[in-house]
Order: sequence, then C-alpha cells, then structure tokens
Amino acid sequence: MTTARRRPATELDRVLSPDTPHATALAELLLAMADDEFVIGFSDSEWTGIAPLLEEDVAMSSLAQDELGHAAALYALLAGLTGTTVDAIAYDREPAEYRHCRLLDHGRGDWAMTIARRYLYDSADVVRLEALVAGSWAPLAELVGKLIREERYHRMHAETWLERLARTRGEPRDRLLTALATLSTDAGTVFTPLAAEPALIEAGIMAAPFTTLETEWRASIEPTFAALGLPMPEPVSDPGRGRLDHGDAFRWLWGEFTMVRRADPGASW
Amino acid sequence: MSQGSAPDAAPRLEAWEVFRQEKVGGSMTHAGSVMAPDAVLAAHYAREMFSRRQESIRLWVVRRADVVDLDDADLLQPPLDRSFKKPGGYVMRDKLAAARKQSGQAKPRQRSG
Repeated sequence: MTTARRRPATELDRVLSPDTPHATALAELLLAMADDEFVIGFSDSEWTGIAPLLEEDVAMSSLAQDELGHAAALYALLAGLTGTTVDAIAYDREPAEYRHCRLLDHGRGDWAMTIARRYLYDSADVVRLEALVAGSWAPLAELVGKLIREERYHRMHAETWLERLARTRGEPRDRLLTALATLSTDAGTVFTPLAAEPALIEAGIMAAPFTTLETEWRASIEPTFAALGLPMPEPVSDPGRGRLDHGDAFRWLWGEFTMVRRADPGASW
Repeated sequence: MSQGSAPDAAPRLEAWEVFRQEKVGGSMTHAGSVMAPDAVLAAHYAREMFSRRQESIRLWVVRRADVVDLDDADLLQPPLDRSFKKPGGYVMRDKLAAARKQSGQAKPRQRSG
C-alpha cells in the first residue's frame, strides 16, 4: 500500500488517515456501503442501450452513474483511512474479497428483477443512511447528507415502477412476483451485522445496530407491499454470511468491471 | 385493485412537452418532449433529458394533450393591414410634418447644447 501525497496536508487529511480514531471500524462500514453502491451501479449500467424505453435508458444509466459516483466518494473516504487509492480498492480484489450484500449478487435479470432489486435496496439504503447522517465523524456525516438528497430521487423512480408493475395484471405483475420471490431471503442482507457495530455505535457514528435498522426497514415498506398485494420479503437466510459467498453472477460481473484494469495493471487511463 | 392513477390495463405512452428555465428570473423556454405513461415518470424523464447535467433550475412538464394549440390563420395572420400596430408602422415624424403644414406652423429650431 502506498501513500501518495502530492499536495499539502489539509484539515481533511488530519481526520482521514490510518490514525483516525475508529479507523478500522469505519473501514469495515465504508467497504460494505461502497461495495453495495459499486455493484448495484455496475449491474444496472448493463441496461444502457437495451432498456425498454429510450427515456428509461437515459434514466437507468443516470441512476447507475449516480450509484457509481456514490461508490467512488465512499471509496475515497476508505482510501484516506487505509492509505491506498480508490482504484486499488475498487478493482484489485478477488471476487471473494468484496463485501457487498447478497441481495446484489443476483444478475441484472429482466426489468421486473431490476426494479424489485432497486426498490428493496434503495428502501433499505435510506434507513442505513438516516442512521449515519448525524454521526460524529464529519467526513462521513457530510457525505451521507448529500447521498440522502440524491437517493430521494432514486426511490421516487423505484416506487413508481414497483407500483406500475404491481398494478398491471398479467405479465408485468407476474414477473414482479417472480423477482420478489427470487430475492426474498436475500432482501434483508443490506443489514448484515458487522463486527465493527459496537465500536461505531459507541463512537456515535451509527445511531442504532443493523438488527434494529432491519426492523425499521421492514416496517417502512410494509404499507406499500400491503397496498399492492405483494408478499413481504422473508427473514434473511444465513444472516451471518450476508456479505460473503458471492456466486457466479457476481464473478461474471467482476470479470467485466476488472477487465480493463487487469489488462494493464498500474496503467493510468 | 384500481386505486390511484395507475390503470390495470397496459398503460399507454403519451407525449409531454418540457419547458426549462436556465437562470433565476429567466423565461420558461421550450426544450423538447418526452414520452411517458404518467406525470411522475414524465417529470423523471424530463429531468434526465433536460437537466441531468444540471443545466436547468426549473422545469415545466405538460401533457401535450393539455396544451391549447392555436394555428388558425384567420386568428394569427388576418388579412387586413395592421402595420399601424407595429413600431415604425405609424411614423410620427410624417404625421407631425403634415399637421404643421396644415396649420402653418414652422418646425421649432433644434436646440443645441
């Protein structure tokens, strides 16, 4: 790991180094969040050029870019804490080393699958972000404040599509129900407990443990699911491993997003 | 289950016209159109097409079907001369010269300084 400092130290650097209090705990949290955003962003970007509607092609590509931007910002905080670079974190790991949640291991699938996954992920992400927005470590709290403002827009899109698919009898609703069934026992993996939680809560970085946040999340989506006659996601299967055991779909995605990097490691583009 | 605005039948796409405002106090100018099945998605798409690079500070999104369209030539381009309504269609200098001539008044000396 190299520490490349090409500019004078700023105020931010003083709180963004391996010497930052709780750096290890923050690193675990940031890696999980950043990997989540990176994987869903990359996955959804696969719709570019083939989305069902021209306007949706632009909208979905834009959403995917937003997620990748969020990932980059979170990786940047992590890079500061661990003394490495964003690219090294994003691209130089083996598939098993990524810490995104199992919900996002599923392939892009059809439009209903993408919408179902976006809805489940975005509704969970907002609960997680709300628990971090008033945290004691300023760089993360400030970033989370910005992410919440952008995520409002993502949720608007996911909600309107969920409703549209759920209310249209026949193929749209059937495909949505199939997608929700496939994702059901992985939906809550966004809230996989982290070893760092006690330290983060004690430090005032996180407002509540993930088990509490998962309960909040389920309560938040219940009215929508009830109104649309959709089955609620089931409890997570094997919750301790919710960010591990990434399968073939992710391995394929990893091959795609590391292809350029692996072609010439260390090159600048 | 027919609550809200979403129908149970396959929704139809319709055209929405988008107007954008570049800066505070500027006029809403026509930017283009998007196809969408409802107002929520129309707003979403309008933002994507006409402000995803933060080029607008305000958007109006209107169903094309709600726009009152006027193209009646009798209304907009009626046949009788109306040039008097335009600047330059009623030349004061000529009217004033004719009035002075009629009343025998001389043109006042042009003031200097």
